[in-house]
Amino acid sequence: MSLAWRLLKTAVISLWAFRSYAALMMIGLIIGIASLTVIHQIGQGAQQAVSARMTSMGFGADAFYISSGGGRLGVRRGMKRAVTLTPADADAISRLDGVTHVVPHKNVARTQVSAGGNNTNTRVRGATPGWAAARNWAVLMGRFVTRTDIGQSARVAVLGTTVVRELFGEADPMGKRIRIGRTPFIVIGVLESKGSSGWRDRDDLILVPLSTATKRLSRDDKISGMRVTMTDASRVGEIKAEVTNVLRENHSLGPGVPDDFLIITPDELMKLLTRQSRSLVAMLTFVSAVSLFVSGVVIMNIMLVAVSERAYEIGVRRAVGARRRDILYQILMESLMVAAAGGVCGLFLGLLLSYLATWLLAIPTAFSPTGFLWALGFSAGVGLLFGVAPAKKAAGLNPVEALR
Amino acid sequence: MIQLKGITKTYYRGKVETPVLLGIDLHVREGEFLAIMGPSGSGKSTLLHILGLLDRPTGGSYRLDGIEVSSLSDDELARLRNDKLGFVFQAFHLLPKSTALDNVLLPFTYAGHFPADAQEQARRALGRVGLEHRLHHRPGEMSGGECQRVAIARALVNDPEVIFADEPTGNLDQRSSLEIISILQGLHAEGRTIVLVTHDTAVGCMCRRLLRVVYGKVVSDEPVADPTVALQQLQTLKEAAK
Repeated sequence: MSLAWRLLKTAVISLWAFRSYAALMMIGLIIGIASLTVIHQIGQGAQQAVSARMTSMGFGADAFYISSGGGRLGVRRGMKRAVTLTPADADAISRLDGVTHVVPHKNVARTQVSAGGNNTNTRVRGATPGWAAARNWAVLMGRFVTRTDIGQSARVAVLGTTVVRELFGEADPMGKRIRIGRTPFIVIGVLESKGSSGWRDRDDLILVPLSTATKRLSRDDKISGMRVTMTDASRVGEIKAEVTNVLRENHSLGPGVPDDFLIITPDELMKLLTRQSRSLVAMLTFVSAVSLFVSGVVIMNIMLVAVSERAYEIGVRRAVGARRRDILYQILMESLMVAAAGGVCGLFLGLLLSYLATWLLAIPTAFSPTGFLWALGFSAGVGLLFGVAPAKKAAGLNPVEALR
Repeated sequence: MIQLKGITKTYYRGKVETPVLLGIDLHVREGEFLAIMGPSGSGKSTLLHILGLLDRPTGGSYRLDGIEVSSLSDDELARLRNDKLGFVFQAFHLLPKSTALDNVLLPFTYAGHFPADAQEQARRALGRVGLEHRLHHRPGEMSGGECQRVAIARALVNDPEVIFADEPTGNLDQRSSLEIISILQGLHAEGRTIVLVTHDTAVGCMCRRLLRVVYGKVVSDEPVADPTVALQQLQTLKEAAK
């Protein structure tokens, strides 16, 4: 039986003897560490959900998106955004070196749509044949918009599943006539269901050929935005600069005039989408850090009381030859062990709670290695930091007075 | 072994000075069995604490085994206590949650190195005080006399040069007291040096040398002419009980 083993055994025996104190000391720490763990699990889950959504939007690292209207990403740019991009801009960009695809689209205001006796109100969007591929969005039945449709500005429509349900119920919509506003269209296809993202039903949508949207459904030939895909991701920066030049020239923007368009790269979008969850995680981390600090103070106070109660034990140890620092290490060891035990309990409680959050509340969570390290680091730090005062008090006891 | 010259001790509480020891000269040779007696407040316990290196004198010189200890650091005193001294207290001062064996092993924990045969040594020490059947009992499961025997085993285990006992029978009934003193007498017979503090004249008369302290001064220091043998008293007591 080695000395280290004996010291460890000593700490365990003392903690067991003072187990009600040890439990009290651990409660605050368990709650603090558990909440820290849950927060990081939820933060990690949100991050993964954003990544998954961006992938489903076809937003790879080798693409960016140009939106009509100027301003800054993440800052609300007014309800009526100027629609500034044109099909000519899309053509010019598609001719740039390194650009493989340009997929423009046009958002038409929400419109009343009817078929037979049913009607609904939905988003109508003009698209090109590349749209479905760029968004990883497959056609469930029928076909998608073709070049011919674009050339003819054909009055054909591809419906999202929500629109199908609203207009046709269980009936087959293929080849049926619908009216978008006053204009009649033929249903040529149905999109697969993408489900909702947050509050927005992504299947509540009708796609028509881009030229049909510009010529027949609205009074201008502008487009809302376009997705630009490049030969490789490393050229995103360079092509972004070229696109900026081309668009400023096409729109005759003089020096000093701000851009009337916005280029959104996957990096920027990712940052925007995760910014909120990140700042929430940071704030909650701060809150749980405060609660951990408080639990540290609790640990310190309980240990100070325990040291007073154990004065005679400390006196005995000093009498049989313990140096001050032996007592110091013993008390530090005990507070470290309490904190570590509390930290591990809190960690498991946190994992359990985040599992429950996913299971019962459908909040996405994912194992967060940083949360794990924070939890362990924090609890060990709290144990050491707040063990110092009680340990010093114990080590400073005069053996004669301690034995009295 | 122990050489005190002009030892004084004054306690300071705020501005109030309380002189407790007023110049004690004492020489204890190896193998002596010394009782320090005196009324309460005489300073006998303070003297024992100074002798046991638990407290420092205010003035004077203390040589233990030829080492002047008044200039040693706290850590050095702790080392000396561990190496050369053993303590027995009135209230036993055992660790309540540890077994008899673990209590006796305690001095080894602070010995710098943990001997490979520490367990064996601890068993032997407990055997020496007649507790080989109580190794794994905790203090709460033993009588006062047994607890004090565990404390003696703890004081013995690291083979000290002096054993200090502060009112070792103060919390015990007559029979247990006799048992404890007879163990101490046995240890003395084996050649150990023992310094004991008591206010009980009967206990004082079982030692070999009696030092009387009154108001911080030695008033008498003489050998005990015919020390009572505790074992005989114990047998008398047992017979009377039958």
